[in-house]
Amino acid sequence: MRYKGFWVVLLCICLAVTLVAAGCGKKETATEPAGTEAPKEPVKIGGIFDITGATGDVGAPYAEGAKAYVDYINSKGGVNGREVKLIDIDYAYDKTKALEAYNRLVKQDKVVAILGWGTGDTEALKQIIATDKIPYISGSYSEGLLDINVCPYNFLVAASYSDQARTALKWAKDNWKGTGKPKVAFVYNDTPFGKSPVADAKKYATDNGFEVVNDEVVDLKALDATTQILDLKKNKADFAIVQGTSNLASIVLKDAKKNGLATKFIGLNWAADEKIVKLAGDAAEGYIGVVPFAFPYEDVAGMAAIKEYLASKGQKIEDKNQKFVQGWASTMVMCEGVKLAGDNVTGEAIKSGLESLAAFDTGGLSNAVTFTATSHRGSEKVRLAEVKSGKFEYLTDWIGYK
Amino acid sequence: MLVQLLVTGLVVGSIYALVALGFVLIYKASDCINFAQGEFLLVGAYVSLWMITSYHIPFLAAIFLTLCISLLLGILVERLVLRPFIGEPVISVIMATIGLSSLMRGIIQLLWGTETRIFPNIFPQTPVTFGGVVVSQVYLWSLGLAILLLIFFSLFFKFTTTGIVMRAVADDQQAALSMGISVKKTFAITWAIAALVAAVGGILLGNINGVNSSLAHLGLKVLPVAILGGLDSIPGAILGGFIIGVLENLAGGYLDPYFGGGVKEVMPFVILVVILLIRPYGLFGKEIIERV
Amino acid sequence: MRFKFPFVMDCGIFTTSYKEDMAVLYAPAAKIKVAAIIALFLVFPLLVNDYFTSVANLVAIAVIGALGLNILTGFTGQISIGHGAFMGVGAYTVGVLTTKLGLSFWAALPLAGFMAAMVGAVFGIPSLRLKGLYLAIATLAAQVIIEYTIIHWTGLTGGSAGIVIQPPKIGSISLAKDKEFYYFAFLLTLVAVVATVNLFRSRVGRAFMAVRDRDLAASVMGINLLQYKVMAFGLSAFYAGIAGALLAGYQRVITPENFTVDVSIQYLAMIIIGGLGSVMGSIYGAVFIILMPIGIRAAAGFVGTFFPDIQNLLLAAQTGFFGLIVILFLIFEPEGLAKLWNDVKNYFRLWPFSY
Repeated sequence: MRYKGFWVVLLCICLAVTLVAAGCGKKETATEPAGTEAPKEPVKIGGIFDITGATGDVGAPYAEGAKAYVDYINSKGGVNGREVKLIDIDYAYDKTKALEAYNRLVKQDKVVAILGWGTGDTEALKQIIATDKIPYISGSYSEGLLDINVCPYNFLVAASYSDQARTALKWAKDNWKGTGKPKVAFVYNDTPFGKSPVADAKKYATDNGFEVVNDEVVDLKALDATTQILDLKKNKADFAIVQGTSNLASIVLKDAKKNGLATKFIGLNWAADEKIVKLAGDAAEGYIGVVPFAFPYEDVAGMAAIKEYLASKGQKIEDKNQKFVQGWASTMVMCEGVKLAGDNVTGEAIKSGLESLAAFDTGGLSNAVTFTATSHRGSEKVRLAEVKSGKFEYLTDWIGYK
Repeated sequence: MLVQLLVTGLVVGSIYALVALGFVLIYKASDCINFAQGEFLLVGAYVSLWMITSYHIPFLAAIFLTLCISLLLGILVERLVLRPFIGEPVISVIMATIGLSSLMRGIIQLLWGTETRIFPNIFPQTPVTFGGVVVSQVYLWSLGLAILLLIFFSLFFKFTTTGIVMRAVADDQQAALSMGISVKKTFAITWAIAALVAAVGGILLGNINGVNSSLAHLGLKVLPVAILGGLDSIPGAILGGFIIGVLENLAGGYLDPYFGGGVKEVMPFVILVVILLIRPYGLFGKEIIERV
Repeated sequence: MRFKFPFVMDCGIFTTSYKEDMAVLYAPAAKIKVAAIIALFLVFPLLVNDYFTSVANLVAIAVIGALGLNILTGFTGQISIGHGAFMGVGAYTVGVLTTKLGLSFWAALPLAGFMAAMVGAVFGIPSLRLKGLYLAIATLAAQVIIEYTIIHWTGLTGGSAGIVIQPPKIGSISLAKDKEFYYFAFLLTLVAVVATVNLFRSRVGRAFMAVRDRDLAASVMGINLLQYKVMAFGLSAFYAGIAGALLAGYQRVITPENFTVDVSIQYLAMIIIGGLGSVMGSIYGAVFIILMPIGIRAAAGFVGTFFPDIQNLLLAAQTGFFGLIVILFLIFEPEGLAKLWNDVKNYFRLWPFSY
């Protein structure tokens, strides 16, 4: 036993050594062209995605969308005649791995910009990003990333969670038919992502004639939200803003229906996609989603490119979901920034490239994106949609809260 | 409100009880705790879902097949992973099952991906009302099953030969061996039963909010239940499930406003620490008397 | 206890006094080789690019954390699944002290260790009555409760948004860059390693091992169980606090998601793979766990150049690999990489004239 064990582990070590050797070998080939300064050297963009981790069910299509766009633009001749190379790492929603992945991308692969993913890791990296001057577009729209002094290199392509909540509240106020002050509650989970819009939204609500009744914390993996629903019922909340995943929203909606709650639920970006309808079934009817990106079944100009790309790969748009579009649109914005940076592709140049974007049209895949040197709030506008017979139907056009 | 909270706690607790039962069964016979219990749940849920949606096997047949597969899986895991750890220190066993949980999660992801999958409606979706208290039917099934399994396993350990053999092995492996009992075979049976119970729990859970890999985290959440009741007590697991379910719902209902929410998630652990300080072997656990 | 050095052949060494016998650097060759290794580490960042230096920084942080956990679990026999939370206590102490009270990072660093040690000691008290699995779960409870406190005590910790701190500075040199930070982290790691080695040459360290081997017997020999178990928890948490503070200084943003139960499990895996109850093992384990995903990625990239389909498969299997390696180590080499290294060394010790 002992003897056998020794050899097995020795084998493991040999394997590990080969791996490291392979890694080093790869590094050399990767850095070689960088030194020769070829004029058409590809633009390297990094991706820190969650494909297999806790948020993999939405992270995987997002990453797929991002890669698809890069593929698409390369097939059209790249950006400024240069190929775009997306070097992506699956960090499996593990914050320590995110830091290592970031270091790898920036210090080893020398990428000039990064497409990221979660709120927790984007927040954790914001200081280092600023030091290294790496423009960063992530799947997180946390208001905390908009502080231009702390995070000068974070860009938000869609309305921040706070803006989404404010817009939802404004809409709720405008469509309030009852008497007295409407009562609003907040349903979220205990993570940086979940709590991101709560304070801002509460302030907006109190300033604008709402009565804020209560906070309900629901775990992302909760099986039951009865206590929270009963609390909503007790406080007679008229509206509830839901910040979480579709899984969380579905538990809430199902328990609300079970307990005969009259509260109108409004879910922000990640709690409002096609999945919620499948998960919650009937209980999703009447649920309102804040939608910053288009659904694949929409007939907008930008969708044609996606269809064309998918057709060339023998895939169908019916198999894709909104997160694919989201990844595609985010990458589109990043590539536009690279284009405006001109021939000198450095982090700083891409930053100023992105900052010169004025009402950049993604072809209806998202609202027009504008960045300036003092504001990285790409957009303030979203669309609201209501679930009617199992499908999100738009209630509004692109609206903001101002 | 109080009644609704109590009832919700009770029915959610029954799910905890079902999962905790898996922990206890394994501990009872082999003195080892299975951190991969959550992944066994996941396997049960995925396998049954896969049979129903891909092969259109009728529900009951699919459940039966799932249970058979879980049985085999339990035996396989015991043989390949756990057997070398008979008699090893506790930390090795803990880490081995933690490693097992990573391994199983990796394999499950390879096979079924990460997207959330939705179960076809097996249980009627309309909730049942008892005098103002509303309960989903899935939860009623789980309550019924938990009670049924409690009775079944209590009788099993008391009256059947296999049950008595399992207790004997847990009590003293040397003595059991000298009585001609095959310890290995007993362990295999134990793991098979535990995997089976987990699969039942997985199918029920899948019906509550779809299946994705985060379902496996329930395993960790249910640990306090098993510890609270005492790791080697079957009534302890079931009662522990009910107690934690009820207490966390009461805490969520009455304490949330004072602590800014989320009390429900941390409550089981607070109760656990308090109970352990008073009763180090849980409510019904067997106290080990140490001699030098 | 004679400390086993890597790379040092210790055959033909005879001691004639207790002092010689107790020396850490017992062989003349050891002194040279240890000096050579330290020199190698000092020039390391000059030889490689920033990426490898940054990996080395993460490894250094992990080594300190793993040493702490090994003191508790490997040497004292008390299982802890709350190590990540103790790191969090350290990190947040630095965050709060530097931003709210305006202390410098250098003053906050030791305080972070002490704060974590205090919290660790409190959660160590149940260890007097709890054993094995029950203790493991009690420390898991500590993890959950500390995490909850961090997230909900928003006034102090900034809640889930976390705290942003300034990079630590020595005089006018900022440690924001990897190379500068490397020297600082390396120095701290060296101090931690030497301190741990010496700990187990002292009464306290031997008492820890006595508690691990049989706590009742240890108490008969006059070791106060409560005192030593709580001390082990405190000491272990001290290391964790320092590691957490270092991570805070490196990343400059402190968020609760850096200190979850997954982190605790990762540290357990480090000491299991490295070797329980071995100082060098903690180092090997930390290196192994940090490098493993990097290795898998490199392998996937390498294989992917020939079979593109397999690349994705390999990447998706990362979680699985982690589990598989932990299990294989536990089954085939329960004493970890440290034992393995010694085996290799012993083989070559008398080579080519073994037997």
